[in-house]
Amino acid sequence: MDAILRYFFDFSRLSGYWPDILHGFLITVEMSILTVAIGIPLGLLLAVLRLYGIRPLSALIIFYIDLFRSIPQLVLIILAYFALPYTGLVLSPFLATVVALSMVLSAFAEEIFWAGITSVPKGQWEAGRSTGLSFNQTLVYVVLPQAIRLGIPPLTNRAIGISKGTTLGSVIAVPELLNVTSSIQSNVANPTALTVGAILFLALFLPFVRFTRWLERAYGHPRH
Amino acid sequence: MTATANGTDAARDIVVIEDLHKSFGNVEVLKGIDLAVAAGEAVVIVGSSGSGKSTCLRCINRLEEPTRGRIIVGGQEITGRKVDLNALRRRIGMVFQGINLYPHMTALGNVTLAMRKVAGLSRAEADEKARHYLDLVGLAHKADSYPAQLSGGQQQRVGIARAMALEPQVMLFDEPTSALDPELVGEVLNVMVRTKQLGMTMIVVTHEMQFAREVADRVVFMDGGKVLDVGTPHEILVEPRHQRIRDFINRTRT
Repeated sequence: MDAILRYFFDFSRLSGYWPDILHGFLITVEMSILTVAIGIPLGLLLAVLRLYGIRPLSALIIFYIDLFRSIPQLVLIILAYFALPYTGLVLSPFLATVVALSMVLSAFAEEIFWAGITSVPKGQWEAGRSTGLSFNQTLVYVVLPQAIRLGIPPLTNRAIGISKGTTLGSVIAVPELLNVTSSIQSNVANPTALTVGAILFLALFLPFVRFTRWLERAYGHPRH
Repeated sequence: MTATANGTDAARDIVVIEDLHKSFGNVEVLKGIDLAVAAGEAVVIVGSSGSGKSTCLRCINRLEEPTRGRIIVGGQEITGRKVDLNALRRRIGMVFQGINLYPHMTALGNVTLAMRKVAGLSRAEADEKARHYLDLVGLAHKADSYPAQLSGGQQQRVGIARAMALEPQVMLFDEPTSALDPELVGEVLNVMVRTKQLGMTMIVVTHEMQFAREVADRVVFMDGGKVLDVGTPHEILVEPRHQRIRDFINRTRT
């Protein structure tokens, strides 16, 4: 017990490192928010575009989502950072990580939104169209609200799962929380920094999980 | 009040169907339908399952695309490529077997959506008018209820209010009571009778023979994708000329 306290909870060893830890934490927060803020709307956009049934476009979208669902996130991050410069596109480690994770999330989000849209009964479309609503109006006012509500629980899981992938940015030297805390661990030869990292990850993602639970309820409509 | 059994009076006819054909793949469901419906008339279409009743109805607002033939609504041909479908559908109300209320909106929201987005009414105008139509179907007090909080009969009455609120030239009812518990059928039929009394032109596909007998100006009997006979409820349902119709009536009379 004493050993555990000495190894993992020796906060005195961290003096002087707190600003670094805070900075790493903020970078993790920024990357997570950006990944979700880009990935989910992009997924929705792709699902809606696929709905128009333009063959080459739909085929392209399906290729995109299959690709980004299959390749491991770590591989994508490394490719985005080390391979893209050869095409003339140089991304900072921060941006390379966000771009890679957003694309993965958008691919999963597209599938979730697509499943939601296609599970809204055909009668809903017919009801909307029969009152003179256009295809787009029926989509926006009738179908999407129902599809998005259906998608919230699986979307939540994906968004959290993929946001946690921001730790992978450490391999291309993004100074995010894991990177910072594991460096401190090496410097001071004590893993307390990682304990702090774990607590901060919890502090970040637990409210996130709670918030999405609240969303699920807020978007629900009364049922018997 | 009624037009002649199969006659057309172009000036008064709200809906004219000429030689309507519809195929699904190789299966021809409608094999040349001719029908004219006058303003204020209630026409009930009866017939066995698979006779093409619903398909015929759904061609009138082009939820189904006719394969051949012409349909004229309010003096305007609605078949053909250049038709503004959304403007057309606004003039044609439809009530569905599956009811199809929007589950994420209140009764009021269901009725006002198209009034605001299609007819361009302000929220206040739409709300006021919607409450009037909800009152007409006896559900003014349920304006703020969600569909899941309403019985099937109440849901269908909201469905009728949703269609009526756009003040269409004709209302199409596609088996409006078929999905309901027997005890809830009456309230929906009562609302339909009231709709008729308001002078609404109605085309109704139903299995409710009593409703057809009591409310219809004319009854259309469809069989195998064709109109087998058209006439007064008495001519079709009480003293049918055709053996095929007599068999049908005997089987539905339980």
